[in-house]
Amino acid sequence: QQTITAVHAFPETLIYTQSFLSFVDAVNAAGEGVIQIDVRGGPEAIGMFQQPDAVRDGIVDMVYTPGSFYGGTVPEKDALVASNLTAIETRENGGIALIDQLHRERMGVMYLGWFDSGVCYNLWTRDEPTFDAEGNLEVDGLRLRGNAVYNAFFTNYLEAQVIDLPTGDVYSALQNGVVDATGWTQIGLIDLRWNEFLNYRIEPCFFSTDLGVIINLETWDGLTPEAQQILQDTAIQHEIDSVNALRTKRDEDFAALDEAGMQVVELEGEARTNYLAAARTTTWDRMRELMEENPAPSSDYDRLIELFYDPSAD
Amino acid sequence: MEWYEALGLLVGSIMLLMALGMPVALAFLAANILGAWVFMGGERGVVQLLNNGWGALTTFALVPIPLFLLMGEVFFQTGLGGRMFSAIDRLLGRLPGRLSYVTVLGGTGFSTLSGSSMGSTALMGSLMVPEMGRRGYKKHMSIGPILGTGGLAIIIPPSALAVLLATLAQIDVGALLIAGVIPGLILAALYVGTIYLQTRLDPEAAPPYDVPPISVGEKIQLLFRDVVPMIGLMVVIVIMMINGIVTPSEAAAFGALGVLILAALYRCLSWRAIRNSVRGALRVTLMAYLIVFGSATFSQLLAFSGASRGLITWATGFELDPVAMLLVMFGVLLILGMFMEQISIMLLTVPIFFPLATQLGFDPIWFGLIMLLALEISFTTPPFGLLLFVMKGVAPSDTTMREIYRAAIPFILCSLLLVALLIMFPVLATWLPGLG
Amino acid sequence: MRPVIRAYDALLYTMAVAAALALVWLMVSVVISVAMRNLGMQPFAWLFTSAEYGLLYMTMLGAPWLVRERGHVHIELVTAALPAAVRRFVSRAVALACVAVSLTLAWYGLQLFLTNIERNDFDVRAYFYPRWLLTITFPIAFSFMAIEFARFVFGRELLHSGEAGIHE
Ligand code: NA
Ligand code: NA
Repeated sequence: QQTITAVHAFPETLIYTQSFLSFVDAVNAAGEGVIQIDVRGGPEAIGMFQQPDAVRDGIVDMVYTPGSFYGGTVPEKDALVASNLTAIETRENGGIALIDQLHRERMGVMYLGWFDSGVCYNLWTRDEPTFDAEGNLEVDGLRLRGNAVYNAFFTNYLEAQVIDLPTGDVYSALQNGVVDATGWTQIGLIDLRWNEFLNYRIEPCFFSTDLGVIINLETWDGLTPEAQQILQDTAIQHEIDSVNALRTKRDEDFAALDEAGMQVVELEGEARTNYLAAARTTTWDRMRELMEENPAPSSDYDRLIELFYDPSAD
Repeated sequence: MEWYEALGLLVGSIMLLMALGMPVALAFLAANILGAWVFMGGERGVVQLLNNGWGALTTFALVPIPLFLLMGEVFFQTGLGGRMFSAIDRLLGRLPGRLSYVTVLGGTGFSTLSGSSMGSTALMGSLMVPEMGRRGYKKHMSIGPILGTGGLAIIIPPSALAVLLATLAQIDVGALLIAGVIPGLILAALYVGTIYLQTRLDPEAAPPYDVPPISVGEKIQLLFRDVVPMIGLMVVIVIMMINGIVTPSEAAAFGALGVLILAALYRCLSWRAIRNSVRGALRVTLMAYLIVFGSATFSQLLAFSGASRGLITWATGFELDPVAMLLVMFGVLLILGMFMEQISIMLLTVPIFFPLATQLGFDPIWFGLIMLLALEISFTTPPFGLLLFVMKGVAPSDTTMREIYRAAIPFILCSLLLVALLIMFPVLATWLPGLG
Repeated sequence: MRPVIRAYDALLYTMAVAAALALVWLMVSVVISVAMRNLGMQPFAWLFTSAEYGLLYMTMLGAPWLVRERGHVHIELVTAALPAAVRRFVSRAVALACVAVSLTLAWYGLQLFLTNIERNDFDVRAYFYPRWLLTITFPIAFSFMAIEFARFVFGRELLHSGEAGIHE
């Protein structure tokens, strides 16, 4: 029996971590006598932003983390961020295989699976959003909380006033009015209790979560074919299961928010199209720039876009 | 390796090195090199240690502490602090231990709003300890109340740590914050009682001198010239925080800037004062942050090696009645608190303690409050509480270890008494949130 | 030898002054960025990021100077209880252990710095910041610390005073 160690980027109680832990349970059940995963903890065991290096250097064998935490190393992760597909389709069309190849080339890790996909981001505001004559969102006077992932979109396209804050400070920043709007995934607002201050959700949603499992390549190559098979099969199954589980969770969250008085405001027509296109192209531009600066053998911008973006799915 | 062997190796090596007199930061680093070698696979573990170090240091949450230190140093070096305390002294007249009460009030106000008990300890320590020493207070009369205010600040809203705990445990943030109000007032009363007792039992502890009586006119003049502007500065900063002009982490910068402007207005801002202030603030910051650099990885090694989780699982594995179980959890928090920083402890214990608390039938809000108290107590518990080191850094150089320990203990006992009261009368915590 | 020592000392104090400036910069950057925000402008993201990185530069550049100042807090229990001759020996041995720790970290810090260059690693915040610009502080700071601790091994002064208590 082989055992590999793992850590996860977020605290144990967070929904995404719970999803990863259920994947671990599935592997440990299927892999009895063959392969076991020994979870060593979350950010308290290895710092959130040090985990990608730790798996690359073999200090830990497996890490569950957003690709954005190592975007400086694998800029192609932005294909996932800007994707309007889920792991289910991109597993089938070979997108994830290409991402795996890029991880191997750039980072010495293998990309086992894209979990919890199909969840996107909304803008959430305290006050009712206003629109200009063309139906575009007006951001004058909006104090928007940002971070490295979405600032290209927020500042470059929306030209909003962005205030960088760590997640832990957002609750009190909303309370004091330091910020009155934030981007966040469709899920989790209630867990963070930001809905105490936020009253409007702006549709459509943009971006996608980019959480994935990466494994040190030496560790991976040292596993028996049987162990590799169990890990890969369980991961592919979990890609599917997690999409469905999180959709259910999203519907529950939205229902709970609706009940508590959250208003939904939709961008329409051309404004909507432009909004979505801007979120995507600012991200793609960033990816292209970094890929051109430092290309990997399998870096292929057009192919990535083709595999991770389906115009008809918008 | 079993968890207790890992625990023994890590904790044993750090205690040995510290006892031998190795500087605390270096002892952490040495233990880390050893631990990283054993648990993280040799050389690459040491590299990871360095990666952790810069990761832990480059967080905005650490910005306020040097700035609070700078604020306190400028207050002290320019003589502004001296002016203010002389005035308060004369205004308060004959109340024995008056500056100790002022310390509790000011320190609590400051650390509760800034959300940083380390920053507040740094500010109050550099400001009050030398000033009160100069006025004939024994050191424990200033050091004790300052160390005590951290415990008060963590439960009186707003409290950043309480928000984080509630988020992690997925309990009602508002309820946990409100739950802290009554226990906070009780704790403040216990502190006041402690200071009163200390001045009664040992009248020499606070200066027994009589302040010459002054006329009402002089009092008003003193108040507006030497007190109102300084207190006013603090009030302005508080208003800025409440109105959302600055975040709590940003407030310290305006505190430091405000004192510099005040000192310039009072014409006591010399280059020498600026230089000495920056130098003083830098010394304590460097000392504390190299310890942060070292202890960040030490915390992680305890978690990564399975030592801390082993301890938690073992300690909570006994079949005990609820109160005994609560005391076990409390004890685990205190022990971990000796070696780990507070957020890591929360990440580690919340997923285990809260389900257990539910199972034992505890009210989660009440339990969360007790957890917060345990975390803050461990911050000031001898021998390794980080606040003790910060205090040592800012206190006059002849202050001994024993004096700091002795000063801390009565106030730690107050916190423990509060925990006992909460266990006996849970309604103290649950009544206010229950109204809403 | 003299000019070398003088150059070394000058460098040590320059680093300490840089650390002091980093501390002042923390205040300045926060004040500017809050002011900009409240005037309705978009604060430069580098104000925020430079404060975060400034914390590392401050700590690392100032640490060797603090060793010279004997400002790193330590606890004296064993050393205080020992007879003077033994105490001197233990004190120098502890300083030697500090040299070893510092040299170890300087060496692996150098490895890390070289790896960061080789891998072209970036720290991703508001900007893509080359990581070697951060980790270069390790080999420098820890080498200087090793030299400063070595002064307490071989020099006239001791790290420990012989009085019980926490010292700095
Ligand atoms: Na508070
Ligand atoms: Na502690």
